[in-house]
Amino acid sequence: MVMVQHLVKRYGEFVAVDDISFSIEEGEIFGIIGPNGAGKTTTVECISGLRTPDSGSISIYGLSPQKDRNRIREFLGVQLQESAMPPRLKVGEALELFASFYPNPVDPDRLLETLGIIHVKNSIFKKLSGGQKQRLSIALALVGNPKIAILDELTTGLDPEARRETWALIESIRDRGVTVILVTHFMDEAERLCDRLALINHGKLAVLDTPEAIAALAGGNRVRFVPSQPVDDKTLYAISGVVEVERKERYITVTGTGDLAASVINSLARIGVHVSDIEARGGNLDDAFVKLTRDDASGASGGVQP
Amino acid sequence: MTSVPSESKEKESRGHFAELLKVEGKLALREPTGLGVGIGLPIILLVVFGLIGIANPGNVASTGYTVLDLYVPVIMVIGFIFLGIYCLPVTLVRYREMGWLRRVSTTPAPPSRLLAAQLILNLVLALAAILIVIFGSEFIFGAPLEVGIPYFILSIVLSIAVIFSLGLVVAALVPSQTVATGLTGLLTFLLLFLSGLWIPPATVGGPLATIMYYSPSGAAVRALLYSVFNTAPPYTAIVTMVAYTVVFAFIAIRYFRWE
Repeated sequence: MVMVQHLVKRYGEFVAVDDISFSIEEGEIFGIIGPNGAGKTTTVECISGLRTPDSGSISIYGLSPQKDRNRIREFLGVQLQESAMPPRLKVGEALELFASFYPNPVDPDRLLETLGIIHVKNSIFKKLSGGQKQRLSIALALVGNPKIAILDELTTGLDPEARRETWALIESIRDRGVTVILVTHFMDEAERLCDRLALINHGKLAVLDTPEAIAALAGGNRVRFVPSQPVDDKTLYAISGVVEVERKERYITVTGTGDLAASVINSLARIGVHVSDIEARGGNLDDAFVKLTRDDASGASGGVQP
Repeated sequence: MTSVPSESKEKESRGHFAELLKVEGKLALREPTGLGVGIGLPIILLVVFGLIGIANPGNVASTGYTVLDLYVPVIMVIGFIFLGIYCLPVTLVRYREMGWLRRVSTTPAPPSRLLAAQLILNLVLALAAILIVIFGSEFIFGAPLEVGIPYFILSIVLSIAVIFSLGLVVAALVPSQTVATGLTGLLTFLLLFLSGLWIPPATVGGPLATIMYYSPSGAAVRALLYSVFNTAPPYTAIVTMVAYTVVFAFIAIRYFRWE
């Protein structure tokens, strides 16, 4: 229902988005992740019609965000990164105002209740906390009863508790049938919320898959330990599931698949080597992110972004 | 796949414009700078010149007029200057800088409606200032005004048009609120001088008087001065204001930046 094909956007010489294509399914939480300045925000700004692409096409339910701006705005809710309101505007007034912009708005009070900010309905914007401002921003994106919500960096600047609450909220929005496009640079957020992720780096689509599949790209599980006596690489590579071996001082780190910790302990025990200081963890999105963005940066382009 | 939601009905646009006006009105009351300088200042000047007029009746260059009689147009134009050159552009630049115009532009409501609401709000304040000055000077301080309604309406409309369109030029071109505050301050001072607040052009004489007559605020004061004594305003004042308005409006529309 959202189709992006060969999207290109330049700011002068700088190519912010360089030939990106993807499609978003109805009812999913679609994540767009990437380092700062990778082109995430530019991509969603093109989708929301705030910017006009230099080339490529975007289609939302068959409509173009540029040509059919007015119709798309009726069912597309947008939460912008760093957007303030007049300081003395009250929460309730802002919501009533935005509700009046849409043909089929939801009840502002119910929305404020759902978002847990009904108690600040009569407070002015200036007096709100960071978390409350963020919730209000989400409320404004949802008051028009959108079919698609674009949320850009919505938990940046929130404390851990507020972040978790916001995540629960996003899930409840999705459960109501709203398609969510989530821009973030927090991997835990992407892992927890998104059905699929597009990783953008230097304006290009590096990978598009489920969070689990992307995490697996980092090389799977990882076990670090200290052996009771030296073990050579050959022995380690012979252990089932081991793919890679790294050494750092006394520590050996093996990467691989399956129940890696158990097979390492058992195999080494059989040849009389005990392991201590053992630390095991699964492959995660953080590793994949670092790996994918670093691989790209060391490539031919290697350009420094402005 | 679900179908695209049905198209909007025309009635919505009126609904949201009324709502925008309401919100802008409330904000103006909560942050009463506009009310203060746009209406408060004309009232203060009215009282000051009114008292001077009572203390020295009919002594202005033996014309038989009091200071207040001759300053009624200046007081009105000062109100327009503060509303149109100060309040309007500073608010619009602030809305742009904080991302409010952009925020609104993601909704079905065009951001131009927000601009229109601000414009209407300041026009209403200007109208209030006019009424206060006319009634105050005539009924409280007894100025012998014979407002010629057609002349007066023409002069008022053009005065407001020229000053507000200059304010929109500032709103269009100025990049930030800091620059806007500085520039509008300077411009306000300049226009106040040219309007003849401190020294009337007739007293100045020479080329400076000509500059004052052909400036936006000077031409406005001149046209209004004739109108409040039921005389046809000089056509040069009218043409001057029309010309400025056309140029200013063109620049403002051509270069207005929404973000």
